[in-house]
Amino acid sequence: MKRLPRRLLVTSLSFTGLLALALLSHPLNGQQFAPDPERAFSFGDTDLNGKLTLAEFRELVQNGARQKQAIKKAPPNIESLFRRLDTNADGELTVAEYRAIVQIRQGMMGPVGPIAKQKVAARKPETPKPAEIAAFPDKPITAEQLTFFESKIRPVLATKCAQCHSSSAKDLKGGLLVDTKESLRKGGENGPAIVPGDVDGSLLIKAIRYHDDSLQMPPKKKLDDNIVADFESWIKMGAPDPRVAQPLPSTSASSQTSNEKRRREFWAFQPLKSTPAPKVKNTSWPRSDIDRFILAGLEAKKLKPVADADRHALIRRVTFDLIGLPPTPEQVTNFINDQSPDAFVKVVDRLLASPRFGERWGRHWLDVARYAESSGKANMLYSNAWRYRDWVIAAFNSDKPFGSFIKEQIAGDLLPAKNDQDRAEKLIATGFLALGSKIHNTQNRKQFVLDLVDEQIEVTSHAFLGLTIACARCHDHKFDPISQRDYYALAGVFQSTQTCYGTLPGLIQNINPSPLIELPTTAKLPTAMPPLPAPRRQALEKQVADLIAERNALTPDENMTPKGFQTRARLAITRFRLASYRPDGTPRHYAMGVQERFEPINSPLYQRGELEHPSDIVPRGIVPVTAPTAPSVSHGSGRLELAEWLASSENPLPARVMVNRVWLHLFGRGLVASPDNFGAAGQSPSHPELLDTLALSLRDHNGSIKSLIRQIVLSRTYQLASTHDDRNQEIDPDNTLVWRMSPKRLEAEALRDAVLAVSGRLIIEPRIGSAVATAGEGLAGPFRNFGDDNGDQHRAVYLTLVRDQLPESLTLFDFGDPSVVTDERATTNGPSQSLYLMNNTFIIRLSEVAARQLLKIDDDQARIKAAYLRFLAREPTPAERTRAAEFLNTFHDGGDTSDRLKSAWTAFCQALFGSAEFRYLD
Amino acid sequence: MNKPALPSVSRRTMLKSVSSGFGYVAFAGLSTMAADAKSSPLAPKPPHYPARAKRVIFLSMHGAPSHVDTFDYKPKLSTDDGKPSPIGRLAGAKLLGSPWKFKQHGQSGLWISSLFPEVAKHADDLCLIRSMQTDLPAHPQAYLAMHTGNSQFIRPSLGAWTLYGLGTENQNLPGFVSVKPLSRNGGPQNYGSAFLPAIYQGTRIGNEITPVNEARLGNIKNPRLDIDSQRKQLDLVQSMNREMLEREKVHPGVEGIIESYELAFRMQGSLPEVMNLTSESAATQSLYGIDDDTTADCGRQCLLARRLVESGVRFVELSYGDWDQHRNLKADLSRHCLAVDRPISGLLTDLRTRGLLNDTLVIWGGEFGRTPHAQNGDGRDHNNKGYTLWMAGGGMKPGLSYGATDDYGYEAVINPVHTHDWHATILALLGLDHERLTYRYAGRDMRLTDVKGRVVKDVMI
Repeated sequence: MKRLPRRLLVTSLSFTGLLALALLSHPLNGQQFAPDPERAFSFGDTDLNGKLTLAEFRELVQNGARQKQAIKKAPPNIESLFRRLDTNADGELTVAEYRAIVQIRQGMMGPVGPIAKQKVAARKPETPKPAEIAAFPDKPITAEQLTFFESKIRPVLATKCAQCHSSSAKDLKGGLLVDTKESLRKGGENGPAIVPGDVDGSLLIKAIRYHDDSLQMPPKKKLDDNIVADFESWIKMGAPDPRVAQPLPSTSASSQTSNEKRRREFWAFQPLKSTPAPKVKNTSWPRSDIDRFILAGLEAKKLKPVADADRHALIRRVTFDLIGLPPTPEQVTNFINDQSPDAFVKVVDRLLASPRFGERWGRHWLDVARYAESSGKANMLYSNAWRYRDWVIAAFNSDKPFGSFIKEQIAGDLLPAKNDQDRAEKLIATGFLALGSKIHNTQNRKQFVLDLVDEQIEVTSHAFLGLTIACARCHDHKFDPISQRDYYALAGVFQSTQTCYGTLPGLIQNINPSPLIELPTTAKLPTAMPPLPAPRRQALEKQVADLIAERNALTPDENMTPKGFQTRARLAITRFRLASYRPDGTPRHYAMGVQERFEPINSPLYQRGELEHPSDIVPRGIVPVTAPTAPSVSHGSGRLELAEWLASSENPLPARVMVNRVWLHLFGRGLVASPDNFGAAGQSPSHPELLDTLALSLRDHNGSIKSLIRQIVLSRTYQLASTHDDRNQEIDPDNTLVWRMSPKRLEAEALRDAVLAVSGRLIIEPRIGSAVATAGEGLAGPFRNFGDDNGDQHRAVYLTLVRDQLPESLTLFDFGDPSVVTDERATTNGPSQSLYLMNNTFIIRLSEVAARQLLKIDDDQARIKAAYLRFLAREPTPAERTRAAEFLNTFHDGGDTSDRLKSAWTAFCQALFGSAEFRYLD
Repeated sequence: MNKPALPSVSRRTMLKSVSSGFGYVAFAGLSTMAADAKSSPLAPKPPHYPARAKRVIFLSMHGAPSHVDTFDYKPKLSTDDGKPSPIGRLAGAKLLGSPWKFKQHGQSGLWISSLFPEVAKHADDLCLIRSMQTDLPAHPQAYLAMHTGNSQFIRPSLGAWTLYGLGTENQNLPGFVSVKPLSRNGGPQNYGSAFLPAIYQGTRIGNEITPVNEARLGNIKNPRLDIDSQRKQLDLVQSMNREMLEREKVHPGVEGIIESYELAFRMQGSLPEVMNLTSESAATQSLYGIDDDTTADCGRQCLLARRLVESGVRFVELSYGDWDQHRNLKADLSRHCLAVDRPISGLLTDLRTRGLLNDTLVIWGGEFGRTPHAQNGDGRDHNNKGYTLWMAGGGMKPGLSYGATDDYGYEAVINPVHTHDWHATILALLGLDHERLTYRYAGRDMRLTDVKGRVVKDVMI
């Protein structure tokens, strides 16, 4: 880690210097000298509520000072400073209030509260005015100042500095660009080159004064004294600078035309089209329009569908597909014996009504939502992520209309709520935008924000549009009609959004904490935390006091040692634990999610996606890739407009993308074989009319996913056998035309759940919270591993999911990397899977449990029959009975013979778990 | 049992090296279900053009070892010791001449410091690339860039690409093994397969914090069944599987399951044996420094790496660190060099003795280098603009120093080699064209080198 040179600190021992300390991006290790009030604020907000109390503020200033080792004693006027900042006098500072500290520092605010109040109020017009991200508040440049700049400053910058410090420099030195107002203030590797109003605090002045041996610019010869004096005057007057970021030549007219043309012509962007079901030759085969579309496709290639699936295969298939569990022997038997014409309909309706349905289909969505409970990389725990998981499961169980499902995840915080319960749920839904992986130790705050926003653009566009808009961060999209401007318009929407993911300030490697969203008190919500009785609270309070004392006693040398880090981390964790209870000892409920930023901002277009090269400011808005015409954004972030646009019944992409996912999960292959890409680089649909018919049906059924699934599984197509057919195979090897049901391998969760269910050990009740929720905010690491799931008997959807510490029962079986959107999981069959099924104690233990259950039955033949029914949902053939009996009679595990029967049955059950038939659906 | 795949390894060695696993092999033979070399995704595949290297041992030095104290001799840095640095991010910081003496070694006269006395004896085998560059001077990003070519997106690792391109020689062992990998700096991503089929991901042995002699591979041994009973159980499984395959006629998934059971069964026999270092002679163990606590752990890693490649594993990576000397450079760098010098030298000696060095590419290096100026008096900061790594064997020109940094070792100024170029070169040595080794993903033909990379032909024989 780079540390700040001591001399920089010593020079900043003035009052403004002290404030600069409070503004530091990282008060703990001073890795960077870019003043960023929002980051400093996040460091002071130890209870993650998005506000600073006087105590927090005091500690931020004092502790910042102590960490810098430069100041022995904090100044006495902290409280009055706090009052000045607290413009609404509610005793707490919001980010917006805190930001005024920059003006104070620049001498732009009056000396006393009321005046400051007026000025701040004046600066906040009714309609928030877009400002550039993290730009310094500024006054317009006067004519006089302009003349001064043009005659005295610009020529010097151009002739004496630009050779090494401009975007046209052959070899950029120190990362410093003097090209624009913004770049000069941002500075280079040593921090801002100038601090408006602070002559002595401006590195540029220091360099051109030639007083310091280590920093002398220009390197060859000192500038004339009068030039140095000009620069000093200029800084003193606030460094007025007319140079905006260099405008980039706007997207050429021809490329705009071609984008419009592509939007008009490319299939995926066209409105949904209703097509009557085609005529087919074999009119007796189809049961529904789905079947007619499929059969017409087959007949066009002179293919015939295979026979219907037998009832055993069918009930096993539909049960796993709909609820992710095997059918019980009773369910199998009932279905086999049910002679009524609607026997299958009854099964389907039972499954759709089961709470297990949401656990199965919610998990599919959690793949798309790259759900996990930590940040990855530095691996901060997201102790409230599980609320989003449960929201998704509940959304599928309650069959939330697809439009609401979209809107709540993008802008639940901005939607009207019926009551506090509804409010809480809608806030939780926005967790979708907050729980992506992040690099919490990114030093440059702006970089962190841009990466965060990029991740949100990626997940949103990928999940709902099947498009890779994030490709346009660095250049116009290579394939799709999405310009770089479109990207930065959308980036403005998310930059105007505050993402609340929590994580504690004070943990090593976390230099980018944020608040959490506290949920309404009256909402009835589950909690993963036990209440805090008074004695325990007192103990915690004492611990906090002790830890504060311990931290305050750290010597400067100890600050950067493991002891220093540990003390601060323990303090942060204990203090937050305390803060997360109400005074009566009941736990507060938090969610990850998003809120509107206090002031919406527009993003510059960053050339090549590089932070160093900001160009035109792009008004925030929505990529108008499909109908309806994207709404314009004037108030707020534009997230609500984005949500409305995505959920609009006129927008064909979200419905197509979702229908395709449903089809994929039911058939093992999407109607569009690239579920992750509906753009030009993706694949064309095999049955475009069917895709649109189903999308329209989703729309017409009020966005009911359950109706969509019901409609599909009741088709004859879904109920085809998985039988191989030579001729069909030759013509259509990938089964694109659906001449049979493709065999599907059970996903990791289904396999694990099935093993637990068959052995009778599955805990069917949903798990509240997770191991991370219980652990609370903190850090995962080599000594704190959440990856061992062998003792967990809940459904796999409830397993703890810490990035980089995923349970092997999932990762070995192609669970997707939760750092990225997964539309379609891989299906490998590697040896590590075999080893797991052969040797893992979880499997062996449950085999033994299953064996014990079977041994309760009287004779071997009945046991064998029961085993096949439980494990494979069918009866054994005579040959299988014989083979099983032979195995059971002769198997020895080499151990104690008295238990031979049990060990033989254990081995037999494990063999069934490991069999390809158990791992596949026909 | 497959044919012994390495011409340089005799059948006898092969059988010997899997001696205790012979039972598994015999059983596999009896069951007539030995993996079909052609249908397996791990089956050996021909390279794009004749390969100079057939296998790789990557000695990954995480934390970024100082190049100016080890393999990048900078006399002017010593002369100007204590003067303000005229270059770099912290221009003005004091230059720190290397506290260690450099000397020329071997016929080639490569300059190597006194920190690596044993490795220096192999000077005539080494090819120093003294002009390495990477994009970012931060560990997580640079470590990922070194392993996957990208720090922004999740991409397949170098080893996974290699396995995807070439398959592996021994179907009884995984084709890509990562010994003691880091859990941070991207963790499993550094040996992951990303969008490539999962079978190409590295098999992890041990972790950062566990010594190699305590490392275990998960699920490799059945806690209850002996080999006979397990085979009997597996025969039952496989007969069910084969029946299913017969029923369904065509079913790649079931075929895959059948194959992988047999490989897994065989791995139980061969992998623990390959990992059993005690079967090596005392002399060999001593060669690797296993007889000395200072060098024992790295020595075991190196010996394990040799045993793995000798048994036909395509790509072995081992990790050692931490080389992040922001402070205590003198003490800590000495300590770390001492821990790896003898083991690495032993590995090179052993590979040469066994005739493996010619077609085994050995790579030594970290994610970046360190600054010529001092930090905290006795330390050095991160430096991504210029650093050194070396490669040996496998078609590298021996005894060569390629490229150069400026007078102080701050920035590569002659023949800079970016990590993308380095990746392209490694693949080229393996007979793979980095522009042709592609995998269709997200609508694009993806490459290890993305749209960049240049093969550094000058370092290849």
